[in-house]
Amino acid sequence: MPMKFPGTCIICSQKVEVNEIGFWAKGLGVKHEKCASQEVKELKCIICGGPAGCSKCEFTDDCDREKVSEFCVCKKCEGLADSFAQYQKAVQKNFSLLNLKQ
Amino acid sequence: MMWSEKHRPKKIVDMVGNEEARNSFVDWLVKWKKGAKPVLLIGPPGIGKTTLAQLAAREFGYDMIGLNASDVRNKANIEELLSPLLGNTSLLGRPMIFVDEVDGIHGRADFGGTEALLKVLKEPTIPMILAANSDQSDKMKSIKKTTKPIYLKPLPPRLLSLYLSKVLKEEGAKLSPGTTIKIIVESRGDIRSLLNMAQAQIGGFDPPTEKSFERLDVEAAINAFFKAKSKEEAQVVLYSLRIDPREKINAFYSSIVTSNLPGGTLAKMLDVISEADVLYGKIMRTQEWRLLRYLDNILLKLYGENAQVQFSQYNLPWPLLNRLRWDGRTIKALSSVLAKRFHVSQSTIATFYLPYILFCIKNKKLDIEISSEYSEIIQKEIDLLK
Repeated sequence: MPMKFPGTCIICSQKVEVNEIGFWAKGLGVKHEKCASQEVKELKCIICGGPAGCSKCEFTDDCDREKVSEFCVCKKCEGLADSFAQYQKAVQKNFSLLNLKQ
Repeated sequence: MMWSEKHRPKKIVDMVGNEEARNSFVDWLVKWKKGAKPVLLIGPPGIGKTTLAQLAAREFGYDMIGLNASDVRNKANIEELLSPLLGNTSLLGRPMIFVDEVDGIHGRADFGGTEALLKVLKEPTIPMILAANSDQSDKMKSIKKTTKPIYLKPLPPRLLSLYLSKVLKEEGAKLSPGTTIKIIVESRGDIRSLLNMAQAQIGGFDPPTEKSFERLDVEAAINAFFKAKSKEEAQVVLYSLRIDPREKINAFYSSIVTSNLPGGTLAKMLDVISEADVLYGKIMRTQEWRLLRYLDNILLKLYGENAQVQFSQYNLPWPLLNRLRWDGRTIKALSSVLAKRFHVSQSTIATFYLPYILFCIKNKKLDIEISSEYSEIIQKEIDLLK
């Protein structure tokens, strides 16, 4: 949409001028139309909470990040000795509703 | 035992991936009260829709009643199956209904099922869970309106890798890095497929080429099946042949009947084909597509070491097929000429008259003036008369 007010693009940190076409979302900010199209969706590592490092992932070409389940694991957390146990712990911590007592 | 069964999670929290979807589902079930919208789990096969419903029933103390598309495709069935459950809940403990593959009710297979199901979905007295692979059809759109849709997505490859490492560790098995990556990529986020492929690899079968063994063509697959060194290898080849089940049965049938097999072996193999055909017929008649999983197990009985079977597309020997094709055409034209002469239909000539006419010509009792182009076929047919 054409911008009503000037702002700074949250991706390239360059100015977005008035009437320039871009995207705006409440609480997030603005971004250029061009920047938004180049933006690569980054999955979140459920263990450490940081970005999963999708651009450097060995499966980057085979992972459709728009279509897969939201959480992944980063390379560092995958390398932990008990990585799967850590994953399960993180799920229990972040989604406490799933800790059902039988 | 299949790894996909052995490693099936025991609790919802033990599942892998789709954390937010699982959370929404549990939230729905925790807050469930009479009249609440049923939940619709939407997602591709092998990512845990059925497992989620089964574990929820176990963890929340419900008695799950599982139905599938074939049970709910007609109105009478729905009334017969669901009405007692919805009307007498106190007598039946704590029932919960799970309808799998609701997107399977479509086209001619729907005898008022969707409409009746929609009516039930509007006022549920017990928790109802529906599962579908896709929500794109018009019927699914109307089902979606009366339910709370929850989308389950394929798993990211790296998460699959994490899970596969855990399973391999528990099994005390190892895979080369190349094979691991190949399996993860080819499973496309489907956990069941991932475990099946990994188990097949550990079983000792190394695919002949680097190309995806999921996409072996029919000829290569049939030949590889009969040349397999073990039953496990044959099983993998069979699973890799992802074509229409009818075509699969036909490919085996045509290859077997055209191969030079001893009578006993041929009879046994034809029995197996017949068994597979009966199963497929049942699937088509009842639309119970879940039975399809047993097809490969039936066809596996065809495997026998040193069975001299080669793929053939045609279910008749080539000379006979050739004769049918070319001579059949000439006989048809001849029948047309004779039909006019005898004032009967072409099919009557071909079915009833022709053998007698040929006998008469052979015994020189009948002289039909006919174009010379048919003399060759007449002579050929006379030679075949006993």
